[in-house]
Amino acid sequence: MNRVKTFKTILWAITGLAVAFGAARMIFGLGAVSNLSDATPWGIWKGLNVVPGIALAAGGFVVTAVIYIMRREEFHRYAKITVLLAFLGYITAATALVAELGLPWMVWHPIIYWQHHSALFEVSWCVMLYLTVLFLEFLPTPLESTGSLAAIRRFLTKYKLVLVFLGVMISTLHQSSLGTMFLITPDKLHGLWYSSLLPILFFVSAVAVGPLMLILAVLTISALYRKPIETDILAKLAGASAIVLGLFGLIRLIDLAANGKLGLAFDGSGSAVVFLIEFTIGVLLPVAILSVKRLRRSQAGLWVAAIAGVMGIGLHRANIAGIQLVHTGPTYVPTIYEIGISLGIISAAILAFLFCVERFRMWETPWEDPRQAPEAAPEFDRVADVWLGTPRIAGRTVYSLVFIVALAAGLAIVSTDRIESSGIKEVRAVPARGGDTLFVDGNLDGYGVSFAHKAHVDREGGNASCSRCHHMSLPHDQQSGCATCHSGMYTAADVFRHDWHAGPDGGNLTCNMCHATDRERSAESAKTCDECHKDLIPTNAQITVKQYMAPSYTDAMHGVCIQCHEQKAQQLAGKESLARCATCHGQRQTEYLPAGVYEQFRDTSFNRVITPPMATGGQSDGKDAE
Amino acid sequence: MEALLDFAKGPLFRFSFAVMILGLVRIVVLDIWGAVNAYRRAGDKKLDWNGAIRNTLHWLFPVKHVFARRPVYSLLSIFFHIGLIVVPIFLLAHIQLWKAGIGLSWWSLPPVWADTLTLATIGFALALLIGRMGSAGARYLSRKQDYLWPVMLIIPFITGYFCANVVLGAGTYQLLMLIHILSGELILLLLPFSKIAHCVLMPMSQFVVALAWKFPARVDDEICTTLHKKGAPV
Repeated sequence: MNRVKTFKTILWAITGLAVAFGAARMIFGLGAVSNLSDATPWGIWKGLNVVPGIALAAGGFVVTAVIYIMRREEFHRYAKITVLLAFLGYITAATALVAELGLPWMVWHPIIYWQHHSALFEVSWCVMLYLTVLFLEFLPTPLESTGSLAAIRRFLTKYKLVLVFLGVMISTLHQSSLGTMFLITPDKLHGLWYSSLLPILFFVSAVAVGPLMLILAVLTISALYRKPIETDILAKLAGASAIVLGLFGLIRLIDLAANGKLGLAFDGSGSAVVFLIEFTIGVLLPVAILSVKRLRRSQAGLWVAAIAGVMGIGLHRANIAGIQLVHTGPTYVPTIYEIGISLGIISAAILAFLFCVERFRMWETPWEDPRQAPEAAPEFDRVADVWLGTPRIAGRTVYSLVFIVALAAGLAIVSTDRIESSGIKEVRAVPARGGDTLFVDGNLDGYGVSFAHKAHVDREGGNASCSRCHHMSLPHDQQSGCATCHSGMYTAADVFRHDWHAGPDGGNLTCNMCHATDRERSAESAKTCDECHKDLIPTNAQITVKQYMAPSYTDAMHGVCIQCHEQKAQQLAGKESLARCATCHGQRQTEYLPAGVYEQFRDTSFNRVITPPMATGGQSDGKDAE
Repeated sequence: MEALLDFAKGPLFRFSFAVMILGLVRIVVLDIWGAVNAYRRAGDKKLDWNGAIRNTLHWLFPVKHVFARRPVYSLLSIFFHIGLIVVPIFLLAHIQLWKAGIGLSWWSLPPVWADTLTLATIGFALALLIGRMGSAGARYLSRKQDYLWPVMLIIPFITGYFCANVVLGAGTYQLLMLIHILSGELILLLLPFSKIAHCVLMPMSQFVVALAWKFPARVDDEICTTLHKKGAPV
């Protein structure tokens, strides 16, 4: 076997395994094959295939822009390869996304169901559009050899510039909005990676690493098919890439310094070490190599710089997409199935890439001996009844055998236990604390809303207005607090307690006190609570109780506030901001924490307060402590 | 022993069953692919579709072809094939395993029938083997796997019959069961890579014959001319 065949055999084997694992994932669900959980919903598929993959595919718009817009004709020979690389890169990312999301038949939902306020909505639209653009950009290449559909090929070639422009536009949008998405993680992402400049950093790093990935692909093909390497042209591309890479490093350093976070890089923590490694191999090493002309023009220099740059930027993306996020659950380690699917998708993409290289004319420059070109079609000698050259179907027996055996082995080792989520963890909501102003922080994580209770009472009309919000109270109580019934932070809770009513504490009621004797005893046939407890619902209560399942604390708080706030925002002039999230959730309400807690428990690496001691016990009220 | 049994019933079975299904699909695809390539290169593109289909159906029930010469052997072969296919698929015990595994179940053979058919299949296989060894012509044509396969195929039948019908000690039962499962899985594994592949390749081979060996009507003279034997009887 020659090296191409060996290489492809290995790739077919990995692909076969991944198909088996992927089938298990689709049939038995995420739990059967992955270690993903509610605490770590983004694993290796996002961290390896999707977020870094999109960056590595950026050559599709960077290099085409250089060729067709900046009119640098010397790079024209790589136009087809870079488009193919980007096309396959995006398909890789999309496939990994489908593997993770599941329900592939709902993939069209973002087209119909619009979520304007989601950064992912924009990303999904851009990826859909850009995949279409890339497909149209690539389409002329396979059509070249068929001869049919020449009209389509001519049309697409004629309007290539339009496609290139579209590609640049859409890519600029979504490469940066992929960074935008992580702006919602200021208190989850480690300080060395979180930055308000993430959109810009994502875009710049994509521009830098796209050409490096192309160089890596060209070097790989040249090594596989023994094509002489045009180091002088690649060196120009690499040099330009190094400048952008340097710019990326500079922005990062200045940003860190300006925010006073540079010190975090040298505090000796694991994250700091990862940062230093990432910065060294992703920025310093390639920039250093590529800035020396002799190294830039040498094969070894190009290899090292391209691999380092690709890996470094990939690590940067992986860090942001998962590694450096705060983990609240158990440590996430990907299963062999997750790794298999991840690598399998990449292997399949490489196979598709090699298929195109062997089948279509991907190179503008002719080979010295045209018969040695990978895409050279073998001739069939009718007289001798033999192929001259390698037949295109060569190796199919080996590849298919390896593929099916790997697939079967994958099915054999895959776990067939369907694992289901244990559901949402029940968190009991803690009543709001404070006096005239209440600090509403049901899960005690230090984030909450300070609710000006007295101000609201005054505005709404004194004591007569209680029933505006308080719509149900405990028996013999007036205006019970919200958390009394809405006792689940994220889950609905049953207000009625049957055991308690039937037990000694609840008056030892017999069944027929509530249930009719002549009917089946069920919740439906029983008396309603207010038939006995006349004082349960305050007079003039404005919120009607329809059932005795109280919605979760968060839902209840949002439900009672937002409706009114949205009305007032429209009615009152100059109060438009009332309807915005940040009006209530704006600042960190440090003044309601006991003195010193914020400073003591503030994790400087993350913009975050670790759960203050109130959560673990003491009834130490914020006000009292002060 | 129990861990070994579990392994044989679980991962190993999944592996061999998948290899069988995928392997059969693979050889069919490769066969069609090769045939299409050959067809593209063929100078004469006329293909006797009807003949190929007719031949396939005839060989499914090789009554007409072989009956005249070896009627007993042909009949034995047909019954052997029926037992070989019907018993493993429609045995109640096997169906219960499928039901426990993937929740699918189907019609099953009455136990008495299953036992009878099992014993009959073992008998047919031995008879076929003797028939093959007894005929000089058949001996001449036989390869090693032609003798090995009948033996190989009846091992799971024999062990299966013992496990189902004979009171055995626990150790013996488990050993026999292990042999039963492992030999069955070996058959599944080797199926696509040996002569047993004729279960899917039979129609294919008819087409290959139709494609490669054909002499249009009244071509006899031409052939004789080519062979420099003009006028010789064809």
